[in-house]
Amino acid sequence: MSLFLASPSPLPAPGAGLFTSPFLLSLLIWVPVIVAVTIAFMPNPRGRYDTLIKQIAFFTNLALLVLLFIAYNQFESFLPTVQYEEKISWLPAIGATYHLGVDGPGLVMMLLSGLIGVAAVLASLGVRERVRAYFTLLLLTQASINGAIAAHDMFVFMLFWAASIVPIALLVSGWGGPRRGLAASRLIGYWGIGTAFLAVGVFALYAAAGGQSFDMEVLLKAPLNSRVQLGISAVMILAAATRLPLFPLHGWVRDVLSEAPPGVTVIVAGAATRLGAYLLLRTMVQGAPAATHLLSPVLAALAALTVGYAGLAALRAVDVRHAGAYLAMVPGAITVLGIAAVSPLGIAGTVLSLFTGGLAAALIAGVCATLSERAQSRNVLVLSGLAPRMPNIAWLMLIAALALLGVPILSSYMSDVMTFFGAFKTQPIGAFAVAAGLAVSAVALAVLLRRVLFGAPLPDSPGASDASLAETWYLGLLAGALLWVGLFPGGPKIPGTEVPLFDPGLINQMAAGISDMAGPYVLPTPAAPQQ
Amino acid sequence: MKYLLLVPEALIVALAVAVIVAGRFAWLPRPWRSFVPHAAVVVVLVALGVELWAGAAVGTYFGGALLQDRFALFVKAVALIAAGFVIACSDWVAEDSAYLGVAMPLLAAFGVMVAASAADLVGLWAGLELVAVSGVVLVALRRPDLGLRLLVAGGIGTTLLLVGLVFLYATTGNADLSGIRAGITGEAPTLAVVIPVLLLIAGLAIRAGVAPFHVATLPVGLGASPVGAALVVGMAAVAAGVVALKLTAALLPIGDSYAPYTQVVAAIAMLGGGVAALAVRSPRPRMAYMAISQLGWLAAGFATHFRSGFGSSLFLLGAFALAATAGPVLLGRAEGGEPAVFGLGVVRPLRAAGVALALLSLAGVPPLPGFFGELSVAAALAQSHNFVLLGLGMIGAVLCVAAAVGTLRVLYMQGPLEESRRGAAAALPAVTALSSFGAIAFALVLAGYVVFGFPIMGLADQGAEALGLR
Repeated sequence: MSLFLASPSPLPAPGAGLFTSPFLLSLLIWVPVIVAVTIAFMPNPRGRYDTLIKQIAFFTNLALLVLLFIAYNQFESFLPTVQYEEKISWLPAIGATYHLGVDGPGLVMMLLSGLIGVAAVLASLGVRERVRAYFTLLLLTQASINGAIAAHDMFVFMLFWAASIVPIALLVSGWGGPRRGLAASRLIGYWGIGTAFLAVGVFALYAAAGGQSFDMEVLLKAPLNSRVQLGISAVMILAAATRLPLFPLHGWVRDVLSEAPPGVTVIVAGAATRLGAYLLLRTMVQGAPAATHLLSPVLAALAALTVGYAGLAALRAVDVRHAGAYLAMVPGAITVLGIAAVSPLGIAGTVLSLFTGGLAAALIAGVCATLSERAQSRNVLVLSGLAPRMPNIAWLMLIAALALLGVPILSSYMSDVMTFFGAFKTQPIGAFAVAAGLAVSAVALAVLLRRVLFGAPLPDSPGASDASLAETWYLGLLAGALLWVGLFPGGPKIPGTEVPLFDPGLINQMAAGISDMAGPYVLPTPAAPQQ
Repeated sequence: MKYLLLVPEALIVALAVAVIVAGRFAWLPRPWRSFVPHAAVVVVLVALGVELWAGAAVGTYFGGALLQDRFALFVKAVALIAAGFVIACSDWVAEDSAYLGVAMPLLAAFGVMVAASAADLVGLWAGLELVAVSGVVLVALRRPDLGLRLLVAGGIGTTLLLVGLVFLYATTGNADLSGIRAGITGEAPTLAVVIPVLLLIAGLAIRAGVAPFHVATLPVGLGASPVGAALVVGMAAVAAGVVALKLTAALLPIGDSYAPYTQVVAAIAMLGGGVAALAVRSPRPRMAYMAISQLGWLAAGFATHFRSGFGSSLFLLGAFALAATAGPVLLGRAEGGEPAVFGLGVVRPLRAAGVALALLSLAGVPPLPGFFGELSVAAALAQSHNFVLLGLGMIGAVLCVAAAVGTLRVLYMQGPLEESRRGAAAALPAVTALSSFGAIAFALVLAGYVVFGFPIMGLADQGAEALGLR
């Protein structure tokens, strides 16, 4: 276990302490909003400034990613406290504060959101219609996801959680495929109901904790009896299940991920859906540990049903985007299995799988979207033997498949191993069932790859071309991130030295913030002065 | 100096009367007529400034018939801002009479101000009726049949209200609100008090157009001119909300006996409004149904019977007043149904932005004022452990969000109708400097309502305290 949790690196990272900002998290939330509003009111006669708008959106996201890497570099790992904290009294009458802050899992999610944000913009460079509105909504989506991750007050969390629904629904219904209306309706329906569950859960928690504050420090540490914990956790599971999604509340996933444009598919599959698992981690593992123990078999069963269903549905799908959408459900279920494990290793795997699962889900859904656009068809009976004609997409699809299955050298291997090792101890039946479901998914992936990439080309299939530069970049970025953490789980080091480039590596960041998961290191205390 | 506090009311009434008289006798030269709305907006802004400057003082007037407190300050400021938006954002080409179109919102705002300051039953009733009459005048101008219908429906509501008020007076022996409260404090609720309360609930529900009573008033608002719709859908409901808040506070000692009925009204309004908003496609009915759903949240706040619930309801009332009165006016002549607003975001971007904000606020979408208001009420519901109502409200809000997204899609993602296919019912609203200013100001005020949520909610909380809640 120490193999995974400890990177022996108490050395400070180069540049630590160079940059400090009391508004770092606010910048990550409000800069995209300000840029979105600026874009929305920018004059753009006959699409004259479409390219400029795309550049603005791209460089905004890139700047946010740079900011995030700085935050990551300066993060005091091994401290089980919230960092980059901002706290302003907001609505004292009901006890809501503008309280932001990230701990280990929060930072991991932030990093994921930053990477997905850049990938989503790159995937959207092919948008030609109503470019201004599209990128305005995309940036608002990005801001709302960042806000939900950074929120350390449940009122603020709810605000950003709910705020992401409208821009995503508009993106799907405005730029989606032929069934976009249905897809947007389903998204609003499921996510809206999920938000209603979340609100009921949060308000119940608020009432049970005395009705004075929405601050997570108060709500998640309130001494609640096990019955209240159980009720609140059950509602939270329902809220998370609509977002992640988990079987049987997955009704939106096929339509949304297959009808949305690739950029939206990436941001939904990669970041927006991970908020569901993040919610469970926050409210159940941190806030209701007794209920988590009680409900862990339910969570394991939901995870097993989800993986099994996703694998079977992908196996019989004749639409390549439908298959991609179903397969994108798999990483979320593995994340939930880690929570069901309720063990340090399982939870550590869960936090890492938030990152790796988000990337893997975004990659598989994105590559299927790009492939179907480039091949001018979504039908797997028509698409065949595409590997020679689109080698880049073929390679990236292969990496996506391997990432979903948790193959070594990809970061999902680390998270899957930790999750399964953790879960086999406490939820052996559930873990076995998920593993069996994963085997079905492997078969589905193998069948999909064989048919689409390596089968005999059909003479009358439509013409296909390889991914464009932007598409290769966005898919490559996702694949590269999966490889980065897979190859350097303890954090990359400056070549030829033992000095960590990012101290102390993503895999250790996740431990910070969960008290019983804190790493084995303590901050070096200054030596007593020699007399 | 004491009467400085009445300057806003005096200014508003004087302006309304002057505009009506000027219109009747055609005193103004033709070139000046187009500046009547501009002048009205300036006067409303002056009145608002005086209200905010001098309104912090507390006092009573006319032998205690009128009361200036934090509740009155909050509501009067909101009513003035809402009236200002109605006048500033209107498409005066679409109105049947510019004079009455300016005067009636002013009179309606005056009615709300009277109800907000009223210390007795007569003041409450007078304020409510003044708002209702203003609506009837504007509706009857375009559609006399609908005007008659509104008069009859309103008459039924008024009858129920009056009977309830009279019974209340007869039972408690008091017409002033503090006296009524003192009279029933410590007494067990009797049938003689509870029955009038139920009549009052029914009368107010009809006046506000809350489901299921909306069947009487809603079609009227939909057939009226944009300003008429704003008065029927928005201002009348605001007045009913103000009266309900004051009456509920006065009847608080027997709150438990009628709370279930208020909760039923709230639940039906929240869910029914949401379902109906999703079922219709035409933007004005959709907006009206979403307003009904938000009124349900308002009623849910009353049902909590404690200060934070009332404070939250008052905060939500402010958000509701802004969106529900400005929304129909910004929408303009949308009688042609959904096609009338196809691509409004392209051809009238400022108006479309205003409509979108109003819709989203009514639907309770974050981060708009309606969201904060609804969640504040939800927090109060949680404190009172009323999770069923909270859950139903959330479902209603989800339905409203779905409806709002449907209209936003039409506003921004459909191409505008060709001019040849655009009849009078789907005519585009005219673009004027005043309407552009109004739309921008509307967006800024909504943003300000959120950014300055702390002091605004603080004032609402003080308003609830002024009603006697601790």
